[in-house]
Amino acid sequence: MGEVVLACEGLKKRYGDLWVLKGIDFEIEKGQTKVIIGPSGSGKSTFLRLMGLLEPPTEGKIYFEGKDVYGSGLDLNMIRAKIGFVFQEPSLFRHLTALGNVKLGPKVVLKMKDDEAERKALEALKTVRLEEWSHHYPAQLSGGQQQRVGIARALAMDPDIILFDEPTASLDIELTWEVIDVMKDLARRGVTMLVVTHELGFAKEVADEILFMDDGRIIESGPPEELLKNPKSPRAREFLRRLIGGV
Amino acid sequence: MFTLENFLFLLQGVPNTLAISFLSFALGFALGIPTAIVKQFSPYGLGHVADAYISVMRGIPVLVIMLLFHFGMAGIIPVFKSAFLSATFALGLRSGAFQSQIFRGAINSVGRQQMMAATSLGMNRWQAFRYVILPQAFIVALPGLGSEIALLIKDSSYAFVLGVLELTKYSDIVRKATRSFLYPYLIAAILYILITFPVANYLDRLGSRLKTKYGLR
Repeated sequence: MGEVVLACEGLKKRYGDLWVLKGIDFEIEKGQTKVIIGPSGSGKSTFLRLMGLLEPPTEGKIYFEGKDVYGSGLDLNMIRAKIGFVFQEPSLFRHLTALGNVKLGPKVVLKMKDDEAERKALEALKTVRLEEWSHHYPAQLSGGQQQRVGIARALAMDPDIILFDEPTASLDIELTWEVIDVMKDLARRGVTMLVVTHELGFAKEVADEILFMDDGRIIESGPPEELLKNPKSPRAREFLRRLIGGV
Repeated sequence: MFTLENFLFLLQGVPNTLAISFLSFALGFALGIPTAIVKQFSPYGLGHVADAYISVMRGIPVLVIMLLFHFGMAGIIPVFKSAFLSATFALGLRSGAFQSQIFRGAINSVGRQQMMAATSLGMNRWQAFRYVILPQAFIVALPGLGSEIALLIKDSSYAFVLGVLELTKYSDIVRKATRSFLYPYLIAAILYILITFPVANYLDRLGSRLKTKYGLR
């Protein structure tokens, strides 16, 4: 058994009167890739934002490397720096070049010297195959390139895990492939990843486990071949039938 | 008769007009950014102080502030013995309130997603603000700042009432000396346009150019 990087227990989230998460237990070990699928409105993105410490839970606990994140007076920013996050919406800093985007975190948060941060950033941009685009501004990059810069920005922090919130949802199919290819690379290199996506090819190839979420709960989970071929719950079966059949 | 000499004499008012406008703009900038930040974060409940400052400045005619400073408060605050400084501070204080509103609108336009992205890297609120939000907000604010400078250049003419030798005062002197009622003010009007137009227009265009470059809205 590997070391558990990120976990949660009885996680619930309420917005006003609406319970978006209704009790989630989850853990992911170092080097694992887990994929979350499920219909829109099932709470996938909310779950991810909570695990990224971008919003506090209403109830329940989140553990980072065994420590109760909200319960032990830890510096949340120090933990956030160790949890990478790639967003669905374009979220690059628009006034900075690709290089500037990737280097800002190491410089400001990790307090690296400028040349050290730059080396780190270029290395990360190389990993996502964008070193030649390092001096372009986000507005000059395609959606796929922007998402890859977003991945490089997370990588440059040397995170212990990266969370991906439907990183290809707003991309054309070819741009989706280039992003997915980079993510497969990372998974094979042993980067710990928790990914919300409906790219089942990605899930089949690299996921250790797929989690099916519906109505604020994890309904079913299992290795990809099992869950994708023989989902046990009717809801997962129905969802997958529609996702694959396009009906 | 209005002559070339009259025109050259009138031009002597321009430096003071420029000095009052740009100094008060700088003062307004120095007050506006912290006020916008205080309104945004309201540290120690200071947001109400910022609100009060903005409401007061929005509610008093700037001429009344000038008169109050120069004639009412010179005894308490020696700086206000100077008509020039009274006018500059009055305009600067009001501009601080206006500029804070310009910056706040610009800060809000940058959007939550940028803040969230900065937070995900582990930046605290101040770092996110300093390195991510403010630089973008500044670009968005440029056209608004252009209008604000134009407003200050025009309103610097109120300093005439305190006896400051600026453009309006000079045109009035020429009017009295020449008994020409049309030309001194007409020339002053044209000079005001010649000063305001390039400044405001430049900031407008710079703002548009940078917004396109960075894909800002």
